[in-house]
Amino acid sequence: EAESTAVPSKQMLHSENMEMEPETMETKSVTDYFSKMHMGTVMTSC
Amino acid sequence: MDASSILVSMRDEDQSFHVRYRMEASCLELALEGERLCKVGDYRAGVSFFEAAIQVGTEDLQVLSAIYSQLGNAYFHLHDYTKALEYHHHDLTLTRTIGDRLGEAKASGNLGNTLKVLGRFDEAVVCCQRHLDIARDLHDKVGEARALYNFGNVYHAKGKSICYSGADPGDFPEEAMVALRKAAEYYEANLFIVKEIEDRAAQGRTYGNLGNTHYLLGNFRNAVIFHEQRLLIAKEFGDKAAERRAYCNLGNAFIFLGEFEVAAEHYKKTLQLARQLKDRAVEAQACYSLGNTYTLLQDYERAIDYHLKHLIIAQDLNDRIGEGRACWSLGNAYTALGNHDQAMHFAEKHLEISKETGDRSGELTARM
Repeated sequence: EAESTAVPSKQMLHSENMEMEPETMETKSVTDYFSKMHMGTVMTSC
Repeated sequence: MDASSILVSMRDEDQSFHVRYRMEASCLELALEGERLCKVGDYRAGVSFFEAAIQVGTEDLQVLSAIYSQLGNAYFHLHDYTKALEYHHHDLTLTRTIGDRLGEAKASGNLGNTLKVLGRFDEAVVCCQRHLDIARDLHDKVGEARALYNFGNVYHAKGKSICYSGADPGDFPEEAMVALRKAAEYYEANLFIVKEIEDRAAQGRTYGNLGNTHYLLGNFRNAVIFHEQRLLIAKEFGDKAAERRAYCNLGNAFIFLGEFEVAAEHYKKTLQLARQLKDRAVEAQACYSLGNTYTLLQDYERAIDYHLKHLIIAQDLNDRIGEGRACWSLGNAYTALGNHDQAMHFAEKHLEISKETGDRSGELTARM
């Protein structure tokens, strides 16, 4: 009887602690935008 | 027009140009500082600078799009999803207005991710599809892969949201299983591309989520195969957090395969890494999993040891629900050992906490 009370419940086995991988958010950067603009200017002036 | 009015008009134009120039410079400086702060993880301060940049204003719509997008992402990281949704929506409207297709694809991706977190799966699917369509139109392989990964995440989250609590993986309602199977298909499609373009980091993420999807589908052997791949890539990159996630997920899968000793070994690795990373909440979770695993192995002494460790951390973190679970588990383990005084002590503690947290089922279990 003692043993049966110590058996973990289904809830306990359940995957509450499943570890998901992070979301990948798309990035837009002001720095990158100006770097590209600058590169464009350099290319045009060449 | 006489000479003096021409002169006044020129001065006005000059002044207006000067004001516009100052405004643009100031907006840019604020946005760059916001960008720098977000890069170092200070999203709260970053938001202040981006919002100030918007107040100043800019006539460069590409800059405005970048500010909206970064504000949306900053709010996403701060878990303020309503605000994140607002800014990603502004970004989408703007990019569509100016006909920036790549920008529209990115805004759609971010909007989809945010809608997914908010549980608005049907709308998220529409965004993922737009992201995918544009990426394919532009022959953008990286974008296409990312859209497929996001699609997988949306269907995974949808499937998980339908799962009845208490049901075992693999025994979920058909609607949940359909969504999970779709998630697996999207992850597989993503994997095909990220292998082709040799993006190992992306492969790692996909293997992890594919493993979790197979776990929920009840395909535990497949789950193990994918999580082992994830672990391998995490080690290649020295990514300790990803390594910890993989060990924890492997532990979960081995539990359902009935290989409790192997599960315990993986949870021990999780615990070790959680301590290295100084993540107390994960450390508590790993102790709880280890306590449960040793209960399954009927090694109650060790189970008590880990449940006590869990209890101490839960108390430190003021996590009453965690504390209640630890007390319930300790009550069970002490009962199994025949130590009825300790069993009663923890059962009473569990009852007290269940009442406090309004956990009705916990309260009923405690009374039993």
